[in-house]
Amino acid sequence: MSAWVRSILTGACALAAGPALAATVVVGVPAWPSAEVTASIIGKVLEEHYGVAVRLRPIGSMELLGAIDRGEVDIHPEIWLPNLQSFVDDYAKSVVVADYGVTAMQGLCTTRDTVEATGIKSVGDLAKPEMAAYFDTDEDGKGEMWIGPASWSSARIERVRAKSYGYADTMMLLNMPEDMAMASIDAAAALGQPVVFYCYSPHYVFALHDIVRLEEPPHDPATWTIVQAEDDPAWLAHSTAASAWEPSHFHIGYARALADDQPAIVAFLQHIALTEDDAAMMSYAVHVEGRAPDAVADAWLADNKERIEEWVK
Amino acid sequence: MKRMLSRAAAALGVVALSAGIAHATQIFDPSTRAWVSYDPKRAIDYYRAHGGVPADFRRQVVKFRTAEKPGTIIIDGNRHFLYLVLPNFQAIRYGIGVGRDGFGWAGIVRVGRKAEWPTWTPPAEMVARDPNSAKYANGMPGGPDNPLGARAFYLYEGNRDTIYRIHGTTEPWSIGLDISSGCIRMNNDDVIDLFNRVEVGAKVIVLMQGAALYKGV
Repeated sequence: MSAWVRSILTGACALAAGPALAATVVVGVPAWPSAEVTASIIGKVLEEHYGVAVRLRPIGSMELLGAIDRGEVDIHPEIWLPNLQSFVDDYAKSVVVADYGVTAMQGLCTTRDTVEATGIKSVGDLAKPEMAAYFDTDEDGKGEMWIGPASWSSARIERVRAKSYGYADTMMLLNMPEDMAMASIDAAAALGQPVVFYCYSPHYVFALHDIVRLEEPPHDPATWTIVQAEDDPAWLAHSTAASAWEPSHFHIGYARALADDQPAIVAFLQHIALTEDDAAMMSYAVHVEGRAPDAVADAWLADNKERIEEWVK
Repeated sequence: MKRMLSRAAAALGVVALSAGIAHATQIFDPSTRAWVSYDPKRAIDYYRAHGGVPADFRRQVVKFRTAEKPGTIIIDGNRHFLYLVLPNFQAIRYGIGVGRDGFGWAGIVRVGRKAEWPTWTPPAEMVARDPNSAKYANGMPGGPDNPLGARAFYLYEGNRDTIYRIHGTTEPWSIGLDISSGCIRMNNDDVIDLFNRVEVGAKVIVLMQGAALYKGV
C-alpha cells in the first residue's frame, strides 16, 4: 500500500469527524541541497496543480528506497545511478525510476588561474614531476591534492586512478573533510596559487570559482578493474582505472503504487527535466548564499513557470 | 615555478616560497628586485626600520570567495595568513606567525573559549629545563610580558581542548615567520581586533598543506 493510499484511509476516518482531508503524498528529502530544493519544488507543484496535500520527510537516500518499498514514502527526488543501482534492483517491485536523468560528473579540477600559471590541461599532466612541483606546499618535491574524505568510496577509486595514470608517484593524495578542501581552494583562489583537486558536479564550487575540469580519455570499462579492499588486502595493486569515471545520472523515483493511484502525478514526475545547471544553482543558493531550500524552490518556480506548465500538461 | 613566483610577486610582494617549510618565507625587495629570505634577523630589522611588519602581513580587508559563513576563521599557515570571513565575499586578512616546526596539525575546530590577558602556564618540560619558566609553573599572570599577549582563543574539537591556541605576542616582529610552538600568534592589536569580532563557537579551519603535513595528519 502506498503512503498515498494509506493517508486516504486515515483521511476517510477523519472525514467522519470533521473537515475533509486531501490525500497526502509523502516526498522523501535526502540531506543535500539539490535534493532538498527538488523535493520542495515537487511538493509545491503537487499542491498547486494536483490538489493533494504534501508532506516532506527528511530521510537518507538509501533508506528512502526502503521506505518507498514499505509504503511510507511516495517520491524520491534524486536517485543517483549507477551508485544506487543495486538498491534499485532490489526494490524493482515497488520503486520506479523515471526515465529522464540529469548527467553528473566526477573527475579532477583546477582553477583558471592555475591553468594560466602552469599550463596544465589533462589528468595525465600530473604524472610529470615538473608539473606536480607547482602543487608542492611542503617542499618534498611532490605536489599535494585532495581526493575526498577517506569515508567516500570515490576516494579509494581516486587512489587507483592516481596509480593508473602515474601521478601516485608525483602527487601526495590527501584525505580530509570536504569543508577543509573547499576552504583551501578558496585560499588558493584568493592568492592566485595553483591548486588541483577531486571534483564532482553538480556542486556550488563551479559557481563560486572559475573552475576548469582536467581532460582525460572518456570512460572505458576495459580500463577499469576495481577490487574491493574488503575482498583483497592488495586491492590497490590489483585495481586499475585508467580512464574517466563513468558519467552518473540522477533520476526522480516514485512508488509503483502511485502509478495506479495518481497517474497524472506520475506523468508530471516523468516529465520533470531538471538540468545540471539547475542543480548547481540549488547547491549554490543553499550552500553559499545560505538560503532555505523552501525559499530557493519558490524562487526557482517563479523563474521557471513555462517549464512547469510544460511538465504538468 | 618562476611564472608562479612572478605572479605572486605582482600580487603580493611576500610569499612563503613554494612551501610552509620552517623559515622559508621570502619577501620581494623592490629596490634590488630580488627575493630575499625573511628570517628573524631580517624581520627584526624590518620592524625597527618601518615600525611594523611588511604590508602584506598587516590587517586588511580582501576579496575572499567562500561558502563558509561570516564569522568563520580560515588559517593558511603556509602563507602566514588568518582570514575572518565577512559577508559579501570579503574577509579580514591578518598576518600570523606559526609553529617553528610547522603546525603538525590541520583540521576543523571551534573557538571553545576566549580570554583577555590570558594566564600562561609553561609546559612541564620547559619548567624542568628553564629556571625562568619554573617560577611560573603555576601560571604566569596576564600582562604585557606574558608570551600569550593580549588575547587568546582556545581551540576545541567537540568539547575537548586541543591545546592549540590563537594568541597575541610580545614579539610583534615575528609575524610572517615559523617561530612559535605549534600555536598561531598575531600582533596584539590584531588579536584584540579578532577577539572583538569572533564569538565563542566560531568555526576554525586550519588548512591541510605545507607545514601541516610535516608530522602527518
